[in-house]
Amino acid sequence: MIDIVSKRFWLLSLSGVVLVICIVAAVVLGLKPAVEFKSGSMMTVSFAQPVEQAQLKQELANLGHANALVQRTEGGSFLIRVRELSGDEKVQLEKDLADKFGQITENQFFSVSPLIATETVQNAGIAVAASLVGMLLYIAWAFRRISKPFRYGICAIIALLHDVVIIVGVFAILGTILGWEIDLLFVTGVLAIVGYAINNAIVVFDRIRENARRGISSDFSVVVNSSMVQTLTRSLNTSITTIFAVLALMLFVGSSLQNLTMVLLVGIVAGTFSSVFVAPLLLVVWEGAGWGWKR
Amino acid sequence: MPRRNVLVLITIIIIFVLAALVVFPVNQGVLGKKGVRLGLDLVGGIHLVYQVQFPAGVGELDKNKDMDRAIATIQSRIDKYGVVEPVIQKQGSDRILIQLPGFTDLEEAKKLAEQTGFLEFREVELDKDGKPVYLRDYLNSDKPDFFNKKEAGSREFVNGETGNPIVFLNKDKDGVLKYVDEGGKPVDVDKLRQGSTNLPSWISGRGDDGIQLTGSFLTKAEANVNTSAKGAEASIGIEWNAQGATIFDQIARRLYNAGPYGTVQRALGIFLDNRMISSPQILEQSYGGKGSITGNFTLDEAEKLANLLQSGALPVALQKPPLYQGKVTPTLGADFIDRSVKAGLIGLLIIMLFMIVYYRLPGVLASLALIFYAVIILALFKLWPGGGVTLTLAGLGGFILSLGMAVDANVLIFERMKEELWTGRTLGAAIDAGFDRAWSAIRDSNLTTFIACGILYWLGKNVVASGPVMGFALTLFIGVAVSMFTAITVTRTFLHLFVGTNLAQKTSLFSAFKR
Repeated sequence: MIDIVSKRFWLLSLSGVVLVICIVAAVVLGLKPAVEFKSGSMMTVSFAQPVEQAQLKQELANLGHANALVQRTEGGSFLIRVRELSGDEKVQLEKDLADKFGQITENQFFSVSPLIATETVQNAGIAVAASLVGMLLYIAWAFRRISKPFRYGICAIIALLHDVVIIVGVFAILGTILGWEIDLLFVTGVLAIVGYAINNAIVVFDRIRENARRGISSDFSVVVNSSMVQTLTRSLNTSITTIFAVLALMLFVGSSLQNLTMVLLVGIVAGTFSSVFVAPLLLVVWEGAGWGWKR
Repeated sequence: MPRRNVLVLITIIIIFVLAALVVFPVNQGVLGKKGVRLGLDLVGGIHLVYQVQFPAGVGELDKNKDMDRAIATIQSRIDKYGVVEPVIQKQGSDRILIQLPGFTDLEEAKKLAEQTGFLEFREVELDKDGKPVYLRDYLNSDKPDFFNKKEAGSREFVNGETGNPIVFLNKDKDGVLKYVDEGGKPVDVDKLRQGSTNLPSWISGRGDDGIQLTGSFLTKAEANVNTSAKGAEASIGIEWNAQGATIFDQIARRLYNAGPYGTVQRALGIFLDNRMISSPQILEQSYGGKGSITGNFTLDEAEKLANLLQSGALPVALQKPPLYQGKVTPTLGADFIDRSVKAGLIGLLIIMLFMIVYYRLPGVLASLALIFYAVIILALFKLWPGGGVTLTLAGLGGFILSLGMAVDANVLIFERMKEELWTGRTLGAAIDAGFDRAWSAIRDSNLTTFIACGILYWLGKNVVASGPVMGFALTLFIGVAVSMFTAITVTRTFLHLFVGTNLAQKTSLFSAFKR
């Protein structure tokens, strides 16, 4: 049997390094809110003639939208985000762009007022808080039968926070490099991951509980190790099938769901690692086996 | 094979056939239901949310009534446009949600909703000598009062060409005259002097008992084409109710006698939302409850106007711009559907391939269960209470994601089964032990997804731009719930078919990798 527990120092270190990078990225770079959260207008347009992204951005700046965000999407169309436009301003902007670049087609338009944006942020915050409380209650319930529910619960929560921090960090980096903004789909993805990723930790802990009861070894490290090995295939396989579905969505549907699919991809990978390795290994450390650092 | 298993198998097959009958064809109604309902982002259309502004001092009960009337009014305006299944709903206590599938002219949609449709009739103010009063008279007058002291309402001055309001003259509660614009903001008097001041002062047209004549007395309005020597001309035929007919005739008689044909004091000003749409001369003393509004408009405009008059005035004002506006073209929506279907099929194939390669025979059975699962889900989307699930792009995403998650229970069970087989149990015993042992993990792990879905559903209900979140939450919830049934019951039943057959002896069929 593979000995995972003895390699805990390196596995936990790997996780720690990634966490530090993500925390630094999140704090330094921050997340960019989309129009749903900060109000403004967003449109998808396509031109009959080929137009360069830089040209479009320059022209928007000339028209008084220096802060406009321009992103290229599938089929040569552009996603443009500007401050909230009135009806007349929108008509004028499209006319000006048509004068410069020729025939323009507007495929999508969204405009969110500051009032709605504030409400949306509030409700999203409540939802995230409620889901964390929900998971805490769930963890308390799921571990009610084992001897040290508190320790298991804390380790599961650390694994959960680990996933959320990595998602936030990755989006801070994507926001800086590619201009990705977080929206309701991002929050949707995070909530779904919070619900999904904890499953793997539950399965591993469930097996530890069962093996401890059967008394396969008096050494807790051995119990945890065999539980991890026994559940490893299962955890990897369920993650892999879900990742297949996410990749299919990423490749075929693309930018419209990019926030959701990226959160899911990052979340599933981080979530699998954290629940398969981080949570049980932290439990081993906590149960007195130490960090296992060997030269 | 135990008899119970046969019964379950037959039930499963019946459910599958029924579900398939519901699902196919995808875009037609079966069993009295319509096809799969698509959200605005897939079918294309317009989504607007308006903040309603109630007049000051309106009680809660009246607010509710006003909201219901406003919604009915907007509904009747939109009905004339042939929009299929428009949604016009109250959101909270003071918001109105409008969704117009397939409609893509955003500006036109906003106009349709925002126009209050307040029709009023005005006449020119006369001084005590019976002469018409103009803006210059007020600007040059040092008298701080109206010329016609009997009429206390606002005076309106309009642009002679466009009919758009230029300035209103109101008396505030201290009895001081104020020049204001349409929104009630003060207007600079010096600026007014620079423009044309030869503008007649329009006051409300009232019956002898002081009741103002407005569109609320109309019973009918329809567009007509009058062919005359000048060519075809569009007009709107209107009919009054009894009270309106009386008031109108009282005004007509007064104007008819106010001055000769062609003078401004004989004109009836017809105002819609403060804009003068025409000012015809009064030709008769009595109209008998019928009339015709002519003006400089095309038949198309006349039809829109008649529609607006027929549906009546909005009892409340809608704040501009809307709190939320969204538009997606149908071509973009169709493209989304295409790509989602591709993503779903490819995702399904890869997952099935993986399961078969890794788990062999059970993998094949899990793949069958997955197809069964997909068909049941699509059937549920159609049959879900409230006319089916409205599928949005994110909803389709949730469904495709659930395909990947649906095999989770199978993986748990198969892994357990392998272990049991390795310890030397027979296939039947291994199946039952695998299912029993895995059940607690399956139940617990799906519970967390249910919690997340519940919270997402709440979020979707409480944010304005809710389409994506709610669709995702609902499809993921249905997906995970059904997958528990299909992965457990269906796969188990299929597996039991092999118990006691020769195939059961070949353990290599049941796991690709030996310990």
